[in-house]
Amino acid sequence: MALEQTIETDSLTLPQAQQAGAVSRWVHRNAAILILAVLLLILPAVAGPFILDQIVGWTMILGMIALSLMFLCGYGGMVSLAQMTVAGVSGYMIAVFGPSSLPSISLFWPWWVAAPVAILIAVAFGTVVGALSARTEGIYTIMITLALATAFFYLTLQNWPIFNGFNGFTTIPAPHFLGVNWRAPIPFYYMVLFFAALSYAAVLYISRAPFGLALQGVRDNPRRMEAIGYNVTAHRVAAYAFAALIAAVGGILLVWQNNQISPYSVGVNAVINILVIAVVGGITHPIGAFIGAFIYVILHTFALDALVAVGLDGRRFQLLIGLGFVIIVLFSPDGIVGIWRRLRARARTSGGGNPL
Amino acid sequence: MSSIAERIAASGTSNAIELRGVTRYFGALAALTDITMSVRPGERRAVLGSNGAGKTTLLNCITGDFFPTFGTVRFFGEDVTTLPPHERIRRGLRRTYQISLLFSRLSVRDNVYLACRGVSRGRFSFIRTRARDAIMQSVEELIALVHLESVADRLVEELAHGQQRQLEIALALAGAPRFILFDEPAAGLSPAERRDLVAILTALPSHIGYIIIEHDMDVALRVVESVTMMHNGRIFKEGAPHEIQADPEVQELFLGSGHA
Amino acid sequence: MLPAFDSSNFRRNDGGSSVSTSLSGYGGRPSEGRASEARGDVLGQWIARHPVAALVIAVAVILVLWLVLAPWPPGVEEAIGKKRLFVNALFNGITLGGLYFLVATGFTLIFGLMRNVNLAHGSLYLFGGYMGYEATQWTGSWLFSYVIAFVCCAIVGMAMQFFIFRRMEGQDLRQTLVTLGLSIIFSDLMVWVWGGNAIQIDTPDYLQGPVPTPIIASIRSSGEMVFLRYPLVRLVIFAAAVVIGIGMWLALHRTRVGVMIRAGVDDRDMLSVLGYRVQLLFVLVFAFGAGLAGMAGVVGGTFQSISLGEDSHFLLASLVVVIVGGMGSIPGAALGALIIGLSEQLGIVYFQNYSTVLSFLIMAIVLVVRPQGLLGRR
Repeated sequence: MALEQTIETDSLTLPQAQQAGAVSRWVHRNAAILILAVLLLILPAVAGPFILDQIVGWTMILGMIALSLMFLCGYGGMVSLAQMTVAGVSGYMIAVFGPSSLPSISLFWPWWVAAPVAILIAVAFGTVVGALSARTEGIYTIMITLALATAFFYLTLQNWPIFNGFNGFTTIPAPHFLGVNWRAPIPFYYMVLFFAALSYAAVLYISRAPFGLALQGVRDNPRRMEAIGYNVTAHRVAAYAFAALIAAVGGILLVWQNNQISPYSVGVNAVINILVIAVVGGITHPIGAFIGAFIYVILHTFALDALVAVGLDGRRFQLLIGLGFVIIVLFSPDGIVGIWRRLRARARTSGGGNPL
Repeated sequence: MSSIAERIAASGTSNAIELRGVTRYFGALAALTDITMSVRPGERRAVLGSNGAGKTTLLNCITGDFFPTFGTVRFFGEDVTTLPPHERIRRGLRRTYQISLLFSRLSVRDNVYLACRGVSRGRFSFIRTRARDAIMQSVEELIALVHLESVADRLVEELAHGQQRQLEIALALAGAPRFILFDEPAAGLSPAERRDLVAILTALPSHIGYIIIEHDMDVALRVVESVTMMHNGRIFKEGAPHEIQADPEVQELFLGSGHA
Repeated sequence: MLPAFDSSNFRRNDGGSSVSTSLSGYGGRPSEGRASEARGDVLGQWIARHPVAALVIAVAVILVLWLVLAPWPPGVEEAIGKKRLFVNALFNGITLGGLYFLVATGFTLIFGLMRNVNLAHGSLYLFGGYMGYEATQWTGSWLFSYVIAFVCCAIVGMAMQFFIFRRMEGQDLRQTLVTLGLSIIFSDLMVWVWGGNAIQIDTPDYLQGPVPTPIIASIRSSGEMVFLRYPLVRLVIFAAAVVIGIGMWLALHRTRVGVMIRAGVDDRDMLSVLGYRVQLLFVLVFAFGAGLAGMAGVVGGTFQSISLGEDSHFLLASLVVVIVGGMGSIPGAALGALIIGLSEQLGIVYFQNYSTVLSFLIMAIVLVVRPQGLLGRR
């Protein structure tokens, strides 16, 4: 269903045959995602603020940041560990340009100036990261982006004039406009849902547009891409810029949700968690980022109680994350999405009902 | 097609490929030494020689996969010695690879589409291409040309070797090629597939010249009008196919030693 | 490929033996003589090829020597502060570079031979520090703690290569992800056992305290010269790092195993010649690299302290050192470690708010100008 779009050709298949039942086929193929969309839209009617904010809202925000990594990694073959850092840059910048509890640093600009400026700076940062690592491949990219991400962490930790050292910023309010307090649980939920759905749809759409297809070509064979007329480095840098846009929006939402940002929001653990989320969910389809984020959020929220319940120390949460990650990498490199695909393939062949 | 004719007219009398003193070192090892050769527009030439003679290195220097250590490369009169590969491709140069270099996790149609898009505008477009756009027409034509219609929606990694070789050629024919470099296109093909290959090569429009590297003399000498023999990174002999075949030195060095 | 790489065409002239062996396969080339010449005077060739860079380096070396050896005239002291501060930072930078070299050299060796970016290398460093601490607590011997740290980390490294990475040969990205997962697991296990508090390994009595050096720190108004005093233990450890570095260089160039390792780093196809023994070689190198990281942990625990978070600090240091120096190159690791150690310590003295950024600025510049690292090959 929805999960197979990267394989099934969509708009590039022959026109005439498809036009006829196009709408019904589209609905049929995307049934799962449509049901999910409806559920998410009506969720505020049944769920309380905790579920909306701390579970689903947080899932979608982390999912957006992981989605930016999925885009780079799944389509471009570039494992960037700096995506959480890009989100952190925009988060810090919204605190610097907008209001916070630190009048000595914050400029108190209105949100409609501060947010675009923050996003712009974060995209510029993401593009520079891309330019520095685009000429390298695979494990080199991991090394360089990890080093850059850690550099930013230490910068925020040491620097007081701009980043306020290890204290960071607190009381960073989400805006009021159109008569709505966008930090109230239900408006905030819908705002997050809007941006998460928008970035999900954008990534899915672009994956079949010339830019996204070319990126997949770069992933499969950069040398041949050069030999059919593409500037591979430029393509990679552009991909970093686009991914940074998604991560930057996610970063601002994360700061508004937590109401604070500090060096540990962009520390090595936070950076690695985004990779864990993307890999566990599966980097072959955009939905994997959100699945991974959901698992992470559920573990993070309930693992403490669960661990204590089975007689273990509740603080062993990181151990659980690490073990789960290693197991996924060892046994299902394409994550939950991969497991789902294999189960479906098996059901099809053994069920015999409808082979393809 | 008129634009191609115009460009050919504009480039006047200059050669399609013109190499002057091209030399390439790998460390202390000279893979190419002082190669000077020129190929006219529309000319079809075979480059022959034993393994390690520097044939593929020669192609790599022409396409810019790497640069010559010394010497200049001209393409239709323009000095392209230090241009990156994609700039040369946009000027009408094409090549195929000895080991298929394809986009294995994309479909055949997407592979050909990427090749067509690579030499047109909109490489960075965020807007999907519709099925009725002109570019899709040329994609379908190219797929038909190399007889891959039946597998157009399959992933490349699922294709048989012969089909991958055919796709390799389709990628090199995208857009408006002016000159193509074929690196052992017949490698690993069945006799029937070789006949198809010869048919495709001989059916190319006459303004498209090419250089072909091929171990199968049967294929090579049937589709070219001139031959360059290479040995130890140097040009050893040039001439028409029958002259080369009759040359005693060549026979002693190559044709007699199992490379024929 | 790209224009920036073009200058690398000739760089492999100094490749020494491996180049000339591959030459013989091509039957007597005119260039054969050049390879052997190149061995003779690598430095001279380099200077001839990069006259400007050589001049800049020479001027910098003379300047630093003057700054260290000569007493500073008052004008200089006013401009950049006390000489004692500068020389101390310089010494701290060099000795920290020695520590970074110990950590990074194992990292670069493992990477060079197995194409495995071991992101758990920082955890091995931390583990070595803790084991060394335990050993000093039990036996009271500082020297013996190095043996314990080396052996414990080597065993962990062997287990990693034997049980996990052996099964994923050639899948470098997956291996790297696994090392990342392992680093999460290791760091939580170590928090479990040793808690979050910083631990310091005691310096043994015979290395306690500062010793005078023949460097003039300042001149009193009476004309009496004050000489710089520097902690003995740091000097001894730096000397040990140099000895280990030279020892490794000799082992790699003068022993059979070393030649195999170098051949494997240069040309991975060469490894297939070794057949089944290649696995043994991999396990040994992994064990050695991990053991060095463990020993470095004891050094770090004596220099500074061992605590939660030091694993990512030293992983990061290794990454930056190796990126700057050149991936897979041991002289590169030495050069990179020296540069990063100096930039950190001088940064702390002269650019407080941005000191770590200095190292990364250096890394970024190297990536732009020479993506393969200063002494790296492509």
